[in-house]
Amino acid sequence: MNVIERQKRLYVAKAGELLRKGKMSRRDFLRAAGLAGFAFSAAGMMRMDRAAAAPIARAPKDARDRLMAQDEMNTWLQEVGSRFSGTTIRLSSESTAPSQITSGLIADNFTALTGIEVIWEQTPLDQVLSKIVQDTATESASNDIYYLDQSWLGRFVNDITDVRATYISNSGSDLNMPGYNFDDFIPELVPAISEYQGTLVGVPFDIPIFIMSYRQDVFEQLGLEVPTDMPGYLAAAQAIQEAGLTNEDGTQIYGTVGQWRTGHYALQCDWTAWLWSHGGSHTNAEGQAVINDEAAVAGAEYMMALAPLMPAGATTFDWSGQGDFVGQGGAGIVINWGEFFPGWDNPETSKVAGLMMPAPLPMEAALRTREECAFDETPGIGHQGGSCLALSKYSTNQDAAWVFLQWATSPETMALAAEQSNTPVRQSTFDDPRIVEKAVPVAGTTRHFGEILTAIKSRMGTEPHFPAWADVSSTGAVIPTELGLMVTGEQDITTTLNNINAAIQEGIDEG
Amino acid sequence: MAAVNTSNTDLRIAQRQHHRQQFISRLLLTLVTGAIVFVFIFPIWFWFTASFKTFTGIFQLPPQLLGFETTDTWWSVVIGGRPYVEAVREAVGATAGTGGAGTVGYYTVPFLLNSVFYAVASTLVTLLIATPTAYALSRFTMRGKQNVVFFILSTRFMPAFAAVLPITLIYRALEIDDTRFGLVMAHVLINLPIATLLLKSFFDDVPSELDDAAMVDGCTRFGAFWRIIVRYVAPGMAAAAVLCLIFSWNEFIFSLYLIRIPDLRPVSVTFATFDSSSGGTEWGFLAAAGTAAMIPVFIFILFVQRNLIRGLTLGAVRG
Amino acid sequence: MAHSDGVLVGTPAPTVAVAGHKRRFFSGENPWLWLSPALIFLLLYSLGPLLYNIYLSFHEFNARRKEFLFVEFENWTTLFSDSRFQNAISITLQYVVIALIVQVLLGILIAVLLDARPFGVGLMQTLIILPMVTAPTVAGMLFRLLNHSEFGYVNFLFERAGIVTRAEPLLGGSGENALLGVLIVEVWQWTPFVVLIVLAGLKSIPTEVVEASQVDGANWWQRFWRIKLPLLSTVLTIAILFRLVDLFRVFDYVVILTSGGPALRTESLSYYGYVNTFQQVNFGYGATLGVFVMVLVWVVAFSYIRIFRVKW
Repeated sequence: MNVIERQKRLYVAKAGELLRKGKMSRRDFLRAAGLAGFAFSAAGMMRMDRAAAAPIARAPKDARDRLMAQDEMNTWLQEVGSRFSGTTIRLSSESTAPSQITSGLIADNFTALTGIEVIWEQTPLDQVLSKIVQDTATESASNDIYYLDQSWLGRFVNDITDVRATYISNSGSDLNMPGYNFDDFIPELVPAISEYQGTLVGVPFDIPIFIMSYRQDVFEQLGLEVPTDMPGYLAAAQAIQEAGLTNEDGTQIYGTVGQWRTGHYALQCDWTAWLWSHGGSHTNAEGQAVINDEAAVAGAEYMMALAPLMPAGATTFDWSGQGDFVGQGGAGIVINWGEFFPGWDNPETSKVAGLMMPAPLPMEAALRTREECAFDETPGIGHQGGSCLALSKYSTNQDAAWVFLQWATSPETMALAAEQSNTPVRQSTFDDPRIVEKAVPVAGTTRHFGEILTAIKSRMGTEPHFPAWADVSSTGAVIPTELGLMVTGEQDITTTLNNINAAIQEGIDEG
Repeated sequence: MAAVNTSNTDLRIAQRQHHRQQFISRLLLTLVTGAIVFVFIFPIWFWFTASFKTFTGIFQLPPQLLGFETTDTWWSVVIGGRPYVEAVREAVGATAGTGGAGTVGYYTVPFLLNSVFYAVASTLVTLLIATPTAYALSRFTMRGKQNVVFFILSTRFMPAFAAVLPITLIYRALEIDDTRFGLVMAHVLINLPIATLLLKSFFDDVPSELDDAAMVDGCTRFGAFWRIIVRYVAPGMAAAAVLCLIFSWNEFIFSLYLIRIPDLRPVSVTFATFDSSSGGTEWGFLAAAGTAAMIPVFIFILFVQRNLIRGLTLGAVRG
Repeated sequence: MAHSDGVLVGTPAPTVAVAGHKRRFFSGENPWLWLSPALIFLLLYSLGPLLYNIYLSFHEFNARRKEFLFVEFENWTTLFSDSRFQNAISITLQYVVIALIVQVLLGILIAVLLDARPFGVGLMQTLIILPMVTAPTVAGMLFRLLNHSEFGYVNFLFERAGIVTRAEPLLGGSGENALLGVLIVEVWQWTPFVVLIVLAGLKSIPTEVVEASQVDGANWWQRFWRIKLPLLSTVLTIAILFRLVDLFRVFDYVVILTSGGPALRTESLSYYGYVNTFQQVNFGYGATLGVFVMVLVWVVAFSYIRIFRVKW
């Protein structure tokens, strides 16, 4: 019996004595007892110590079972991981599918075997950045692992421990998980989502990337060819728009739909695809901003040509708004995050189950190379928004955190996440028979994985990662705000690009 | 005689007509009021029905408010705690979740309970602090009272985005970040101004002769306040409690930054994770969880309804 | 109750009240003793953040060096040449004025109707509170759907009524109607607050006053305009004051419905401050905006109290 419980009982007993002696009416007694119950249980809940708690949500049983069958990993977790038993690892990430799935597997597998508690906070992307900025600014140890979006790599490169130098290359260390195989991460991906100028910032975790998808029924009905180049893509969208088709329930089928929420990072993502596919880039090889050159203007003009082919609401659609809209049968062709594809094949949530087809991204009209740009910028129509898990330099439990990090990105954990339709970052996951098996039109399909792999390997576009990049590109910042003025027709293309160019240059100069 | 009879009948007819007229005008009144109230309730009705609709049904225009195809998927996950994957598997026979964040993690009951705790605890603490303060502001003459009241009100002026960072830093220094205690106190901060002002005007309505009488009877000032006067402001306290509950229940940004342990989150923050960037917005879950989150506060309001309207007079109208 | 004086509240039980004499500090007659828990609490919580923000408004955070650099008045001078800031002021003012007028008029109307006791008044009174019980984040999501340019029923009805067009829906297009789209949620959620308070005010009008006017032969409109409304003015001033303070800080709906767009048409001061602090890591400039909003609300509330002679 703890202190609070004892006090509560004492209090109620005392009130009971008063009741017996007739000094208290029954009603008052009940009230006092009830009050005591609440007040003390409240005091109990408000204890000053921080509750270390297990995740509430658990993954489905078969997934958990399968993880428990990984003998080699589990033995290692038990032997090595349990050295850190009682430690608590904390991380904060965006609430995305891999985060949710992986966190649902922790309690029954990782924590059960190692005794390491994990507190995994998940919030919308907007809030993750500010929390990490807070932590790193105060050099606080409150998060052991950072979830870093690719656009923040440059900013936090000095706040992390390079796990390659510290652990992976130290082949004798038993802190390295057997069978972890870092080389299994798709080689093209590693520099794009987990390195900054050659330093390994984190371990690849997630890879949302643009692919092209179209409505097969619409294309058949209109006798359209699947576009393979930029003019073709525009023409197809125009043809669909002009045809004025409707779905069975009478809703209109638009040519295409953008994630054009003005002022939002989503708009910035959408725009870069058109920028890069017309030979533009944010930076040149000298590290100067070149966003107002001819190629960039061509990209912006192309983007604006798409505007009339979209529903008016597109200027408030973020990526989810766009994904929802396609899922409800609103668009004929679209280039957007591949992660939305599996949901479109779910007949429970989608009106286009089985009707959307993934296809190779159209060929860029012109394309710069990575060498022609700076700060790791890599032009390509397949804009990627990947993320990695990084070990905090300020963590006081680095070894334990590394054990967890390996578990969370181990082949089997990632395969389980991919089976729930999360996009893989490991080659072995793409090849996994369970994943291949699901390449049919079914909820949580993997039939778009081929296009995703192609996009990663040869079409991927990566933003410049200079340290201040997030300050100019994130929601509310200059780039999406200026683009917002452009897509709503408030401001012409030249002014917009000049303003963005100035902001990027200023960001670069900040160092 | 005949004349009297006639006039009696006339009177009755007139009365009946009068009653009928009254009835008709009240009926008209009811129709007009009902129509306006309906407009306000419509979104909630829509939300409620959406929580039983199939996902695609939610998007139908004009929305079907009755007789739509129903599903219990959303509620069984949000309240029943069934893993979403299982719900999907049952529905479409696929061995997978959807493209959204919807595999696990939509079970809302623990967060509802968290919210109930934060709301009730912060309301109690608020009332505990606000009542004596309001009493004093009502009873004592003192220099600078106007300024004191304005100061209390002014603590509500700072936008949340500016207050949350420094409070987080202070909490971290005091090591009360990530504790229920810390969040409850932050909610007290939000509620204290409105509760104090509300209660103060209510104390104003209670004649101060009552205090004097009690003190003549041998009560101390505090005794008079605690034993006698507080009872008269019970309706006001109920009204203040409702507002405190509502503001605490709805609060988002403090909860988001002061509580970083998922298990301690209130519902308002949990909802934010339903809109994820790796899949469509989970409208079904939002509808079910959003409706569920209304229920506890609504029940409380039903309980104190009588006192609520009386209590909210803010003691203002006196002749 | 058994547990008596003071113990629960934490105020020392006063001994003897010495009326007419110089107050001893620890006596039940000392108002400051009564006020101290609240004042200490509020000072602790508001002074820290205020000073912190004022301090920050003269600094800027250097993300790379991770330190606050003293920049004198740079943030403040930037503020007054920043067109986005000016836009945000104008948006916020429009928002406050429109929302306040609509909420107050509509609130009075509904309260008066309910006060006339239609059938089912109890039920209606309960139902009208429901919008307030919806968390603003949830209300925002709900109206993201209802105001949706393609699937939104409210947008659909507004389009039918000719208020919005296909090209300029409530949410989307070039943002012509976006402020309206946000205001709908505001009015929907907080008009009930005014209803409740006005209704309470109406209930507390002594029946003799109303009856006396009936005898005088005043009709309904005269009774309302000449008798009830003046009696309501005090309740109204306070209701308006609270709405005013909250309206100036509008934030939640903007984040969820529009992110300030399309094209800055809904970017409020609070939202602009939020993105500076939390998205762009301009802690200094964000704090400057925070202090500005606070001062603005302070000035407005203070003038309001002066003009309408609110006495406490």
